[in-house]
This record gives sequence, C-alpha cells and structure tokens, in this order.
Amino acid sequence: MPPLLEVKDLTVRFYTQEGVVTAVDNLSYRIERGEKFGVVGESGAGKSVTALSVLRLIESPGQIESGEILFKGQNLLELSESEIRSIRGNEIAMVFQDAQTALNPVYTVGEQIAEAIEHHMGYSEAEARDRTIQLLDRVGIPEAETRFSDYPHEFSGGMQQRAIIAMALSCDPDLIIADEPTTALDVTIETQILDELRELAESFDTAIQLITHDLGVIAEVCDRVMVMYAGKPVEVAPVEELYYNPKHPYTVGLMSSIPRVGSESDRLQTIPGTMPDLIELPSGCSFHPRCPFAEESCTRSEPPLTDVDSGRQATLDTPHAAACIEYTEGLAEGLTYAVEIDDSGGDIGAIDAADGTAAATSERDGDD
Amino acid sequence: MRRIYESDALYRDDDEAHAPKERKRQTTLQSFRHVPSAALSDAFLPQRLRRRCISVDVRSPNSTYRVGEPIPFRVTLRNRAPIAVTIPTASPVLWEWSVDGNVEASAVPLRDPPDEPGRFHFGRGERKEFQKRWDQRFRVERHEWEPAEPGTYTIAAGINVAGGAQTRLRAETTVEIVR
Repeated sequence: MPPLLEVKDLTVRFYTQEGVVTAVDNLSYRIERGEKFGVVGESGAGKSVTALSVLRLIESPGQIESGEILFKGQNLLELSESEIRSIRGNEIAMVFQDAQTALNPVYTVGEQIAEAIEHHMGYSEAEARDRTIQLLDRVGIPEAETRFSDYPHEFSGGMQQRAIIAMALSCDPDLIIADEPTTALDVTIETQILDELRELAESFDTAIQLITHDLGVIAEVCDRVMVMYAGKPVEVAPVEELYYNPKHPYTVGLMSSIPRVGSESDRLQTIPGTMPDLIELPSGCSFHPRCPFAEESCTRSEPPLTDVDSGRQATLDTPHAAACIEYTEGLAEGLTYAVEIDDSGGDIGAIDAADGTAAATSERDGDD
Repeated sequence: MRRIYESDALYRDDDEAHAPKERKRQTTLQSFRHVPSAALSDAFLPQRLRRRCISVDVRSPNSTYRVGEPIPFRVTLRNRAPIAVTIPTASPVLWEWSVDGNVEASAVPLRDPPDEPGRFHFGRGERKEFQKRWDQRFRVERHEWEPAEPGTYTIAAGINVAGGAQTRLRAETTVEIVR
C-alpha cells in the first residue's frame, strides 16, 4: 500500500517584481496513514506555502515549479481542476490559521459545514444538517442545534476555530492539514483545541500535518517533526529524538528560546538575527549568518539533509536527518552544545540546550 | 434625486469668520485619473516606444571594496513617460542582475522559469528601486560557492526582454576588489 502522502523535491517560487522568492526549495517528506506530522519553523520558513501546495492552492504570482505530491500514490499536480476539487475538503481537509477570515460572514456556520457534506458525500439537506449538528457537538460547541443557525460573528474565537475543525472533519478526511490552528487563541483554549484535534484524529484514524512555530504544540501532538528554515528542511526526526537529541544548530536555537518557568537565566535565549530574505539567500548554508558554530566552510557549501548516524544523504526512510556540514565534511570545532534534561519539570519545557548555544551566541554578540 | 449639497442645510458665508466658505473648486477636475491608462497605453503605445520610456541604472556606493566585504548596489528602473507603460518580458522573471555575465553571480542556472511571458508594469513617472548585495562569491555548483579573486568585476542589471533590445533596458557598473 502506498504511503498516504509523499512530497518529493517540491519547489515553489513566487515571481515578484523585487525578485524571485523561492518559498519552498527541493522539499521532500512523507506522512503515513494516521501519523501526526509536525512542521515547525519561524515565520517565512515556507511552512504554509508547503501546506497550500499540497492542496494546490498557491495563487499567482506563485508557481509550483517542480516536484511531485503523491497522495495515495496519485500525483496531485497532474489532476484536473475538478479532480483536485473532489479531493479538497473531502480526502484532504485544511484547518486555516485565522478562523474568522476562513469563515464566510454572510452564511451561517452550520450552512458552511453542511455545504461540504452535501457536496462531497451526497447527503440530503436534512441529513447534512443532522451530521453538522453532531459534528458541532463533537467539537464541543454547546447547544449545537441552536448554534447551527448562528453567523460567524456570533461565535467566539475558540468556537470559530472549533467550527473550522468540525468542517475539516465533516467528510472523514484521510489527512488534515492544520496551519497554525491555535495561533490566534489563548493558551487554555489552545490546549482544549489541541486535545480535541488529537482525540478526533485518533478516533477517525486521520493523519495530521500540523504546522506551527510553537515547539510545545508539536511535543503535545506529533509523532514526527520536520524543522524548516528558509524554505528548506534542516532536521527531520521522531518528536522525542528531536527534543532529547537535536542535531541541527537551528533546532537547538529554537529549543533554547522556549521560555521556562523557574529558569534562573536573566534573559530569554534567542537566535540572533532574522530569517534571510528569500529573494537573496546567503551563500552556503542559509543558516550560517545566525549560527554560533558557523565556520568558513559553511559559507561555501550548502549541506544536504544527511542521516546523522551514517553520514549518507538522507532518504524519505531516514529516521533522523539534519542538514549541517558537521554530518558531511565535519566542522573543525564541531557542534559543542549540550542538552540538559531537567526531570523536575516533567515536561518538554524542562529541556535545556545550555553550553554551546548560549556561550557561542554571546561570543558572536561580542564580535558584532 | 436631490443632493445633500443642494439642500441648503449648511449655512455658508465668505465674510463670517467661523462659517464654512462658499464652495469654490481650486483645482481642475482630473478625470484622466479614471481612464484605464495602463490598458490604453498597452493598446496604442508601440513596443519600441515603450522601451524608450524606461531607463535602467545600476550604482554602487564605492568603486573599490576589500576582499570579503559585501558589495551593495542599487538598481533603479524609471518610467520617464507621463503615461503608464507595460514592458512584456520573456518569462515571469521581470528583471535580472548579473556579475560578469553570471546571473545572480551563479555559473549554474538557478531556476527554470515557466515558459510563459511576464509583464512589467510601470505607472506614469514611476521609479522602482531595488537594493541588492553581492557577497563576493560565485556559485559554481548547485550547492557550492567560491570566493571572487581580487580584480575588476562588472555588475549589470536589465529588464528580461526577449530579442536584442536588451541593451537599451540594461545598465552596468564596475567595481574593484582589492586585498
């Protein structure tokens, strides 16, 4: 049986007058049935463009320039517009980042969910209404029957997000792409929504591609994680491996910038600098201008995603891969960070990337 | 239908200090603004004339840079005509910069743009400025770069037009890299 989703060498570019933006560069990943796959990175890393590409929702001036998106073995890029429309919302559903914008303000919430059910599943209006009410109830909307006829503005932010999740689940999809589903919500509602998403996915055996810039959210929900930087994957690993044994300096930087309750440090660790302009990427490894371990060789060659154990070029079957010269040619000084695990916290917030990143970062700051 | 300004609901008096003044339009109506000038210029302005309307300029703040020092440069594209101008381009890549003929300082092709024309639109009298930087490295392979040796290099920029008219829509400057 083919994997649920296999993205191979995907490249997406936007042709703007400022220049050509390579939003996703040669990206490959795989999601198995029922798997919860996280995509993490800063704003502008290409996470959302990747998600929109899977549903072929990239608009002009964007172009999917090369690659394959195989869903159950079928290349989505070769389908006609009507064929892809029969997959969108049906077999692959999307939970958008901003629920208020995603919902149409002039239709009732119930109508919008029922429309997808009628269209894809051939239900009658009454049947679709019943199923919508069940779904609204399932995602925790109180008095679902009354709320069916409410307009989006009559829902709170959390309820709107739940309604979007209900819409995504409405046709029993095989894959839900959740693009920062909790970014606009407060932390208590975030936890509820994530719990619901996870429970619902487990009960419906649905795979999730969860896009976020919050590593805490990834730890809570996902099985495997891909860390993206400047349109490229820099590390792919099972979630526990990534937290307890991060291999790429960018991942380490992200880890050390998680705020921790009870930390004795005066300042929150950050990764110095910002994401580069995707029109004009730095030569060599795109992360080198911000990397505390960067050496001359990092400016001259761009390392491929490499198996961290064998040093061979990674494939889709490689369990833990990172794109750092340390795993190909090797860095003269090596990666000198250490990961300290504080069990007293009992959660992922207790992981501390101490020595290397902190020390090297401050050295770099001094140089500047 | 009676308009609000015909209702006499507002008392106007030029002599009274705090009353609104009589309505006198100081400027002439600029109805041309509402003409679809881009579409009209597309329909009536010949290609050769369009290219004459656009000027290209490339400048770097200094002419000499030390080895390893990034070289900033500014590309200015200006429509000198008082009407909107659209330049058809060979691909969706509207303009390019190069170092010694290497597009974006790369000896290998960076991308394979779709085989379809693009359109570079300029409003009337519009000036477009792009700040770029060459880090003194040439891309020699897909994933390999090499530093430029000391010497003189030509940084050029031009609109990506089809045919031989590229010379008019192109400009260059030279910089020297010294130890």
